[in-house]
Amino acid sequence: MPLLTATDLQKTYVSGDARVAALAGVSFSLDKGDFVALMGPSGCGKSTLLHLCGAMDRPTSGGLLLNGQDLGTLGDDALTRVRREQVGFVFQFFNLLPTLTIGDNIALPCRLAGTPPGEADRRVKALADRVGITHRLAHYPQQVSGGEMQRAAIARALAHQPALLVADEPTGNLDSDNGARVLALIAELHREMGVTVLLATHAADVAGAATRVLRMRDGRVEGG
Amino acid sequence: MRLFSQFILRPLLQERVRTATTIIGVALGIAVVVAIQLTNASSVRGFETALETVAGKTSIEIVGSGAGIDETLLPSIGWLREFGGVSPVIQGDAAIFGEGSAGSGFRPRSEAVRVLGVDILRDRSIRDYRLLQIEPAPTAPTSPTPDLTTQRFLEILTNEHAVVTTEKLARRRGLALGGEIRLLIGDRIGSYVIRGLLKDEGPARVLDGNFVLMDIAAAQLAFDRLGRVDRIDLLLPDPEDIHRTLVEVAQRLPPGLKAQRPSRRGEQVETMLAAFHANLTALSWIALIVGLFLVYNTVTISVVARRQEIGTLRALGVTRRQVLWLFLGEAAALAVVGVVLGLGFARMLADAAVSLTSATVSTIYIASVAAPPDMHWGHVVLAAAIGIPLSLLAAAVPALEASRVPPTSAMRGHDMLEMRTRLRPIVLVAPLGVLALAAWLAQLGPVMGRPYFGYLSAFTIVSGASLLVPALMFGLSRISRGLLRRRLGVEGLLAHANLSAAIPRISISVAALAVSLSMMVAIAIMIGSFRDTVVYWVGQTLQADLFIGPGVRPTVGSAQTLSNEVIDAVSRHPDVAAIDSFRNVDLVYNGNLVVLGAGNFDVVLSHGSLLFKSPSNAREALRAAIGRDAVVVSEAFANKYGKREGDTLSFSTPKGPQDFQVAAVYYDYSSDRGVIVMDVTTFRRYYGDLPPTGIAAYLKAGADPERARTEMLASMDEGHRAFIYTNRALREEVLRVFDSTFAITYALEIIAIVVAMLGVAGTLLTLVLERRRELSLLRLTGADRRQVRRMVMIEAAMIGVVSQGIGLTVGFALSMVLIYVINVQSFGWTIQFHLPAAFLVQSSIAVVVATALAGVYPARRAAQLVLTQEE
Repeated sequence: MPLLTATDLQKTYVSGDARVAALAGVSFSLDKGDFVALMGPSGCGKSTLLHLCGAMDRPTSGGLLLNGQDLGTLGDDALTRVRREQVGFVFQFFNLLPTLTIGDNIALPCRLAGTPPGEADRRVKALADRVGITHRLAHYPQQVSGGEMQRAAIARALAHQPALLVADEPTGNLDSDNGARVLALIAELHREMGVTVLLATHAADVAGAATRVLRMRDGRVEGG
Repeated sequence: MRLFSQFILRPLLQERVRTATTIIGVALGIAVVVAIQLTNASSVRGFETALETVAGKTSIEIVGSGAGIDETLLPSIGWLREFGGVSPVIQGDAAIFGEGSAGSGFRPRSEAVRVLGVDILRDRSIRDYRLLQIEPAPTAPTSPTPDLTTQRFLEILTNEHAVVTTEKLARRRGLALGGEIRLLIGDRIGSYVIRGLLKDEGPARVLDGNFVLMDIAAAQLAFDRLGRVDRIDLLLPDPEDIHRTLVEVAQRLPPGLKAQRPSRRGEQVETMLAAFHANLTALSWIALIVGLFLVYNTVTISVVARRQEIGTLRALGVTRRQVLWLFLGEAAALAVVGVVLGLGFARMLADAAVSLTSATVSTIYIASVAAPPDMHWGHVVLAAAIGIPLSLLAAAVPALEASRVPPTSAMRGHDMLEMRTRLRPIVLVAPLGVLALAAWLAQLGPVMGRPYFGYLSAFTIVSGASLLVPALMFGLSRISRGLLRRRLGVEGLLAHANLSAAIPRISISVAALAVSLSMMVAIAIMIGSFRDTVVYWVGQTLQADLFIGPGVRPTVGSAQTLSNEVIDAVSRHPDVAAIDSFRNVDLVYNGNLVVLGAGNFDVVLSHGSLLFKSPSNAREALRAAIGRDAVVVSEAFANKYGKREGDTLSFSTPKGPQDFQVAAVYYDYSSDRGVIVMDVTTFRRYYGDLPPTGIAAYLKAGADPERARTEMLASMDEGHRAFIYTNRALREEVLRVFDSTFAITYALEIIAIVVAMLGVAGTLLTLVLERRRELSLLRLTGADRRQVRRMVMIEAAMIGVVSQGIGLTVGFALSMVLIYVINVQSFGWTIQFHLPAAFLVQSSIAVVVATALAGVYPARRAAQLVLTQEE
């Protein structure tokens, strides 16, 4: 059974009298353990599709099943539960909470989900070790480099052991060295932990790390 | 202008809750200040208006030294007629004793009437009486009689039971011409026939028409002032001569008499109320200052929420100065609406405040009518003059911040939350310096009898503490993280992290709330201490079993006395072992009104009813004072006039100026005017044998005071009515009066706290808007709405905890200044320090709960943030 199935997914934004179709009938599926790159020019609907797949928003029409659950029919609380338990996010601008230390940032999903403190601490330590930022756990985000922030963001996205990792241009705000390192880390973690990855990018070398590529244009998936 | 309308006014209209909260905050602050001005003015103006109304055209009045003028002196001042028209007057207050008002429901204050007794032949030239109706004479029908002759007026008043009252009062009370009106004067109920009704003009306007005119002889009888007149009014044909005449008359008057303008009595009352009014005014400003914090908050929210828009404007060529004016314009717009609304609120608040303070003013100071005061242009100017400039000042910081927004960083949206976590030494040193200044100011003495340095010290403490708030919050943030995480879970941790990062932003709100809470704490400690002191004092000094007073409360300018029938009814009772009668008169000392009391020092010594402050052997000093020209003075008097035992007091008596030695100083909390007490034998020597204003009765051992009281009241005939308090009832009455005195204080404080709570809600809203991005992130990371709401509520409650913590500490310091500086210098009272622990605990819990509730709306807003906004 696929982990994620999208069927004729549509998303229309209404602003006054104007209607903008961000997604105009997208269908695809991800199997458990897939590493899929989503490619396309700016404004093609990549981010909208990621928002829907990450249970951040609901489609206007069409079906979207994650682990057999139709995300389009879920209320806000149920969507929150899906994000908390099944989805991890990595963003272009890292989006760590500036008021929390790196350690607290990584532990946050576990704490929100009510994971016992001992278990949460163990996971933080293990992940920090794995992404190589143990020495930065007590620092605040603004005190570390961009690469370290993104590695911390990856650790945070995996702390609650999600089934799906959604990454939106994770290397877009990094220099080429750090970008390559972060990409390699995502690929390694995908292999080691078996997490399914859906990664949006418009860089071909980034897409090269994926096992499959979905190309988007004008709100539709072209192939894959 | 167009930019202002699009960029400032439109968002203000869209953000209705935030705009309304701020406007209400400013309006309440303005309203409280204006309302207190109106209220203060109303009590003095009420008295002055009544004074002017009754004074008529009187240019100069001749007054005695506390107990009127002996009629035997009148022939010796016959020369007064050389200067103009002369009219001797009896004036006093009475209560209308109507059907259904007898018995337990009898409330004289609500029925007060002013009684004027004159010789109408002489008085018509001084006061305008317009009779609307008179009792039909054999030849004239009942009709308006504008051409009424003085002869006819004299005829209708010559009977000792005849009175003329006002048409307004008659209408209100259902009184008819020829009908009966019963008046309670002192302890005597007199029955009078209404012979005429006055039009609503001249003296008839006094106390809203509650006026009764009678012949002077009838008034002397009614007020038990046979052989005396209260004063002599003098009308000069040429008012220009008043100053010269005043000097000339004063020189020719015999000892014990004084010439003054009628307005002098109003000035004395104004001085008497000044301390009470100054303290209310100082309190009213707190609500305004807290309201101004709201303006700061709102403009800050505007700046924060529209940072990107400001950046866009800057990128499009709007200058820094224009941005500055845009946000100052926002503050001005809020202030203008707040001022207009505040003036409306002020009227309502003033009505409430008048009803709260008039009980105090009339119980302790003067007879006042709880009439709603009139607002005039001066109040509108005052409101605008304080509301608008201060709002602009409050908005200056955020407006400057807006003007400094760089176009580039604002467009990126990355400088939204500035992390300022470093604590600079100045943050600690400056406030400590200010607090040291406050301590020094508290040591300074009064200026012209007013505790100006005390007020300044209190203000400096508040300022110093406010400056210390950021440093305190940094310290608290360091030590509370672990505790919050352990006790309140992830929401506690997040709340702690959010607040710690926003210390510069929330310090102002915390300071505002802490300031109002500290005032509440200080006032609670002061009132608690004062109450405790009064309870102790009452316990020590109220030793008699029964206290008997006239049925009408005495006020300044209207003594009420007891008659022989009532004194007999009390002293004849078989359970009575001893009685002590006392007499109070109003005395002008150093231009101020003080109380001169006469009591039996023998009884004071045997029953110990005074609590002495000094000297240590006060009882011997008191014994030695019996029969001599010696007095004891209250602590308030001693402090106000710098007198101590052994000093000499000089004041005017009916026998002329006289020196009295101060034998001792005693504690007294019944009057801040200051009290001089002399032994009854000394008093009689100078003032004659005046009827007493009260009696204390000591019962035989084992007697039941309640039963004795009932029997005494039953033994009084229909024509007499007195208040008899048992010891317990009088103690309760004293505390009731005490509590009602401070009701206004608490009311003002509650308003300040409500405004501060609005400030907390505003600050949290600012933080929520400022952290939109972080809150979205939190929701993406899996935080549900409930967790976000809980986090914001915890933040609100923590603001409450920190504010109340600071409020308690600062309030403690302020209470010291209130008790040991301001009170001593304003009223001359020693108050024993007492901490009302239960009240402070209860109010602390209430504050934390209330601030948490203030977080409800911001919490809802935080939980409702859209997740997929542009990152």
